[in-house]
Amino acid sequence: MTAPLLETHDLVKDYVIGGELVHAVNRVSLRIQRGEFVAIMGTSGSGKSTFMNMIGCLDVPTSGTLLLDGIDTKTLDSDALADIRNRKIGFVFQQFNLLARTSALDNVAVPLIYAGVRAAERRERAQAKLEAMGLANRMQNTPAKLSGGQQQRVAIARALVTDPLILLADEPTGALDSQTSLDIMGIFQKLNDEGITLVIVTHEPDIAEYAERRIVFRDGQVIEDAPVTSRRRATAA
Amino acid sequence: MSELLSALAGWGVNIAIAITALRTNLLRSILTTLGVMIGVFSVILAVAVGNGAQVSVTQQIATLGSNMAIVVPEPERANGPPRPGDRGRLTERDGDAIARQVPGVNAVAPQIRTSVQMVTGGRSASTQAIGSTEDYASISNLATEDGRFLTKSDVGAATRVVVIGQTVADKLFVDINPIGETVRINRVPFTVIGLLESKGSNLGTDNDDQIIMPISTLRQRLSTGPAQGPDDVTLLFVGFEDEEALVAGDREIKSLLRARYRVSKGKITPFTVRTTKEIAETSGQVTQIFQAVLVAIASISLLVGGIGIMNIMLVSVTERTREIGLRMALGAKRRDIRNQFLVEAAVLCIIGGAIGLMLAMLAAAIFQQVADFPAPIGWDTALMAIAFSAVIGLAFGGYPAIRASRLSPIEALRSE
Repeated sequence: MTAPLLETHDLVKDYVIGGELVHAVNRVSLRIQRGEFVAIMGTSGSGKSTFMNMIGCLDVPTSGTLLLDGIDTKTLDSDALADIRNRKIGFVFQQFNLLARTSALDNVAVPLIYAGVRAAERRERAQAKLEAMGLANRMQNTPAKLSGGQQQRVAIARALVTDPLILLADEPTGALDSQTSLDIMGIFQKLNDEGITLVIVTHEPDIAEYAERRIVFRDGQVIEDAPVTSRRRATAA
Repeated sequence: MSELLSALAGWGVNIAIAITALRTNLLRSILTTLGVMIGVFSVILAVAVGNGAQVSVTQQIATLGSNMAIVVPEPERANGPPRPGDRGRLTERDGDAIARQVPGVNAVAPQIRTSVQMVTGGRSASTQAIGSTEDYASISNLATEDGRFLTKSDVGAATRVVVIGQTVADKLFVDINPIGETVRINRVPFTVIGLLESKGSNLGTDNDDQIIMPISTLRQRLSTGPAQGPDDVTLLFVGFEDEEALVAGDREIKSLLRARYRVSKGKITPFTVRTTKEIAETSGQVTQIFQAVLVAIASISLLVGGIGIMNIMLVSVTERTREIGLRMALGAKRRDIRNQFLVEAAVLCIIGGAIGLMLAMLAAAIFQQVADFPAPIGWDTALMAIAFSAVIGLAFGGYPAIRASRLSPIEALRSE
């Protein structure tokens, strides 16, 4: 059996809020294998987002171990962490986080700038990912001229442009209507079928049912970790 | 090689990002640039005016004549300036002694001067009359445009002849050749024998507003003021063969005159010797100080411009914290973020610097036309301006850029 893509041991994140120590994430140990589609659930303040930020190398754990693709992230400096975010991780955010006044094509190409890819190749690869997202005729549009669903598809294209190992999506449907949410989940399922590992954070039980494994957080700890029994399928848009 | 290319490409991307960001807040960018523009404008103009002063002084010294010593009857103490009661003295016979005894001397021309009123044909002019000898022309680089200069016999016989400058000729003679005309100088009739070539003006002094006559004539016919003895001069021009002779002759003249006036070592001498070399050096120093002061004052406005850059870059970083977080999430390293903001500041400064330079060149050209004062801006000054503004950008953009690069990705991403 190959090593898990992601493995945590006693992962802890503490915050001091108003002079009081809060364990946002409290000794979480779990593994995510390659090709899994995981939904992380929990109420706000349950620690799910903090956990997500740590596995995305955006936030540094207070203690514990995080192994990503076999690498212990504790040993890495800020440049090496930036490199991991660039090459191994793709992020999708609730608010899309596209650069305003910048075309869809240029938005998708941003991670390739930091990967040191030449301009011509950046353009080519960004174009290919946008076409795969069904946005071939929207490439020159700025975010202001795109619908919410289209913006989120641009964001997914951007997350995929460096061909990462894992896609992390934080409430990816939180700003979308139900039909568009369905479209996005369809895209995720299709990507997962093609082999990419997916972790989404959501507080909507319906959305979690599109994943194949559900992890529930409460008070910084995992209280449930089980396969989704009645898995839903969405037809990709 | 490929690493260099990708590094350059990285900067290209940063410049593109910077231009997009600057265009997004166009008015703010323009106002910020204005500060640097005014700063660079004033520094460059100050340098140009300083250069101009230097050129002007060099020209002025050149009109005096080169390799020349000037002896004046002003007392000089060995240490410190003269005090009231110290007396000055210098005579024509001192000049004769210098001509005979100091080696390397070409010629000595004594000079006395007085203000005169000239009248002819219903026109009048007041000017400075210089009394000297036939050697005055060669020593002080004067030439006649028309007619002739003084001769030895003019001086010997104290004839009533005069050589006039262009400005004087323009005032007194309209549409007639002045040569051979009679003018009354302080009511004494003189014949105009020559017209001097124009020497222009330096820093407001008109070199053509003067007349020259034999020193003997001036003494006999015109009042030279109460304090002067029959043989006294207002100065002696001593022309030397070359610079070497001038340096040696400076000492020779001093010791000769000390002996003639029986001044022992360390005592007050009634005369002062200055060489054109010393004058050039001293005025060179003075104009350098002048330039340094101008540039220092102008630099204050550049400093203010730089602070403006820093202020706006700090605002820009705060406004775009979320974008910084996003870029970090997508793989930007600290140096990528730092460079992005550095380039933005540098672009602002270089644009401001370039416009400031162009405006300074324009102002210098206008200055030259209107005030007849040279204000040259060379390639070195232009390059300095651009380099200077880039340095301002890096220096004042540095702190905001480093602050941006030190943000934690998650905190930046969470900010609103």
